[in-house]
Amino acid sequence: MAADVHSLAPEVVVDFFAKIMPFTELDHETLHRMARHVKVDFFPKGTQLLHAGETEISHLFFIQQGGVKSFIIDDEGEVTLKDYRGEGDYIGALAIIRGTKANLEVETVEDTFCFLLPKAVFLDLINSQPGFSQYYLKSFSEKFVNTAYVELRRHKMTRRGDENLYLFSMQVGDIVKKPLRKLSVDSTIQQAAQQMATHRVASLLIHQPEAADEIIGIVTDRDLRSKVLAPGLAYTEPVRQIMSSPLATVLSQSTCFDALLKMMSCSIHHLAVERRRKIVGVITSHDITLIQGISPYSLFKEVGKQQKIAGLYPLSKKIPEMIRNLIKEGAKSGNISRMISILNDHILERLLTLLEEEMGPPPLPYCWLIMGSEGRREQTFKTDQDNAIIYADPKNEQQGREAEAYFARLARKAIDHLVECGYPLCPGEIMAVNPKWCQPLSVWKGYFADWVSSPDPQELLHATIFFDFRAGFGKVSFADELRQYLMELTERQELYLLHLANQCLSGRTPLSFFRNFIVEKNGEHKNKLDIKQQGITPFVNFARILALRHGVRETNTLARLHVLAKENILDESLWVKAVDAYEMQMQLRIIHQLNQIEAGAEPDNYIAPDELSELEKRMLRDAFEVIDRLHSVLKTMFPTP
Amino acid sequence: MLSLDPPHPVLRRNKEQFLHFNQGAPLTDYSFVVCDTELTGLNKRKDEIISIGAVRIVNLQIELDQTFHRYIRPVHINPNEATLIHRITPEELKRADSAAEVLPDFIEFCDNSLIVGHFVGLDMSFLNKAARQLLGGTLSNPGIDTMRLARRYKDSGKIDHYGHHDHASSYTLDALTKEFGLPLFKPHDALEDALQTAYLFLYLVKKIRDGGIHSLKELYRAGRIRG
Repeated sequence: MAADVHSLAPEVVVDFFAKIMPFTELDHETLHRMARHVKVDFFPKGTQLLHAGETEISHLFFIQQGGVKSFIIDDEGEVTLKDYRGEGDYIGALAIIRGTKANLEVETVEDTFCFLLPKAVFLDLINSQPGFSQYYLKSFSEKFVNTAYVELRRHKMTRRGDENLYLFSMQVGDIVKKPLRKLSVDSTIQQAAQQMATHRVASLLIHQPEAADEIIGIVTDRDLRSKVLAPGLAYTEPVRQIMSSPLATVLSQSTCFDALLKMMSCSIHHLAVERRRKIVGVITSHDITLIQGISPYSLFKEVGKQQKIAGLYPLSKKIPEMIRNLIKEGAKSGNISRMISILNDHILERLLTLLEEEMGPPPLPYCWLIMGSEGRREQTFKTDQDNAIIYADPKNEQQGREAEAYFARLARKAIDHLVECGYPLCPGEIMAVNPKWCQPLSVWKGYFADWVSSPDPQELLHATIFFDFRAGFGKVSFADELRQYLMELTERQELYLLHLANQCLSGRTPLSFFRNFIVEKNGEHKNKLDIKQQGITPFVNFARILALRHGVRETNTLARLHVLAKENILDESLWVKAVDAYEMQMQLRIIHQLNQIEAGAEPDNYIAPDELSELEKRMLRDAFEVIDRLHSVLKTMFPTP
Repeated sequence: MLSLDPPHPVLRRNKEQFLHFNQGAPLTDYSFVVCDTELTGLNKRKDEIISIGAVRIVNLQIELDQTFHRYIRPVHINPNEATLIHRITPEELKRADSAAEVLPDFIEFCDNSLIVGHFVGLDMSFLNKAARQLLGGTLSNPGIDTMRLARRYKDSGKIDHYGHHDHASSYTLDALTKEFGLPLFKPHDALEDALQTAYLFLYLVKKIRDGGIHSLKELYRAGRIRG
């Protein structure tokens, strides 16, 4: 008699499960018995496997080959990517154990083969194998931050005492508690104060006299103090005189994180919460600080309170720690860069304010420009200084000498302080301390005109840094004027853009013929990939060239691409792909740098492809393929004869 | 041995199952048996089947608890040839059941399923030759050829290709598996080859016309074997 071979589970399944946790713990017989219940299914790329809140999960999916992404879609239809899973990863365990429907949207991002383990068999293992439940419970507690995010968005949040609350999971609407207090714009200041005292609130919304629903402004405690008491304004004056208008609003479905970003970037403390075009309440920075122990906001506030420049040093060094928390809460790279920008800007602003106090007022108005990645609001942890000073054109020679001396000293001191704050010097000396980059507005215009009219390859490099400038501190109108000037120049100079495009196209695509990554061949970064230079920069360059050509004022790459797509300059599907590819690489870079910082190393941009998961590698390859497509768009736009 | 009259009961049942065969139902309603045979050689007159591997697909999912894998003791054992290509030792073959014992079990396993195979005509001709000799008739299960499906798929130009066109002319199971980037099984074991073919089948059915094959008729037009 032959061995009864057909009752054995196929080797491939046994081999697969024998390698992944927690099945590694199973004895031979249990593993084989389990493996026999497994089914195989195939899902072409782009198949939606699970619908959050809808799909009943009858089995666990184990990815044998391929990859999926999970994401959530909020009430406004906005999609937030949660994560990617690849070979050996599973989908659906949490829902099966908790007996709920799927809690994430899951879609295959490539052709994917899955082993399906029936629910009953899985639950049986959970109940009979002690290591099993432990494994899944542990992995849930780690994943809880992610899944909580989803759960919290779908169900109203009830606060539990011992639990952290998350900036990303709480909606603004959830923390509006107090009823709306409002007053007609014709009321007196005293009536406003009385109302605030009676209801014990620190702010009042102000509406039109005949339309109580038409909110036009807000009055806060601070207004009473600084606009009434201090200047000695009569209490009988109408409240209209002291209100802040127009009112800054935020949608009730926005996350607290978004609200916080808005408050920080506008330097305001109150936001009116809007639901279905109606104002339903007010949230304050204090409300948000309350839900977040060590928050970006408290750091922001600490910076604003500093009276000594040295007090800023330790604060700016807290940024990486804070960013780490944000990443662990599930922030996307775009959010993180924006938060880093806001904090860096705020530190710069405080630093220069204190410096001016120390040095005495400047002889001429000036604008502190920030450029490069800071100018694009695309910083990660490692932020080289790229800055410059524009000051008003001096009226005479003496004023010119005074300005030169003052700004040279200001620049020297500011840059030393920035180094102390942890921002490394720019290796290319593109800093305000370099006399070349500390000049009156007319000289700056001359620089730009020269670069654009005679593009020498050396000078082209400047374009990539200087053209992404924005105002960091001081007289913003100088930066605006320079931007306007530059746009007029480049719109006329097709030839110049052609040079930029050619330079952009000359960069090698990071895929070799055999679809392996091009990595550094020698030296310190042997076998590593420069994710910034090879992966991210082509997107940045592409967006810049098109922005210059089409008069887009934005400096941020994603914002530039967005405008280009909205104006139908960039194909919609290519835009979506470019955004995905860009964000994916930024995320990879930020997490890489975070790991380096945690290991006590200096953050850099060198990623070892060997250390990436198969899925990450493939995603990176896909991202690089988008570069090819962007390049062909450039080639079409700037055909070379 | 000459043909028996009447045919073996297992063949009669097999035939009855396909008397009123409906081709119009959705694919998910059918079951498929993906099979592969190992042979002592390719000469139809003198060579024999030495193993059969098969796996069932229900609801367009491979059911790993419904596999069939048996060795068959050939009438003429040539140990050198058998061990050369296959992972079967001559000892295993000597201990194996005869075709007369294995074949009815296999036909029962096939039940009312459609038989799928890579270049399935070859497997079918060896199976039917043995069935005629030993059981007095042939199998009634319709067959579907993954090689033809693959040709159809590639001709439609719907390949998510990475520039592999240059060697795209090969339609062996190995070559297609590599070209489509499917998970890899150990070659030259009837069960693993059957699984490999089942993966290819699932892949093709769901990729041809972007998953636009819904009924058996449509699939049949794409992958039917020619008699």
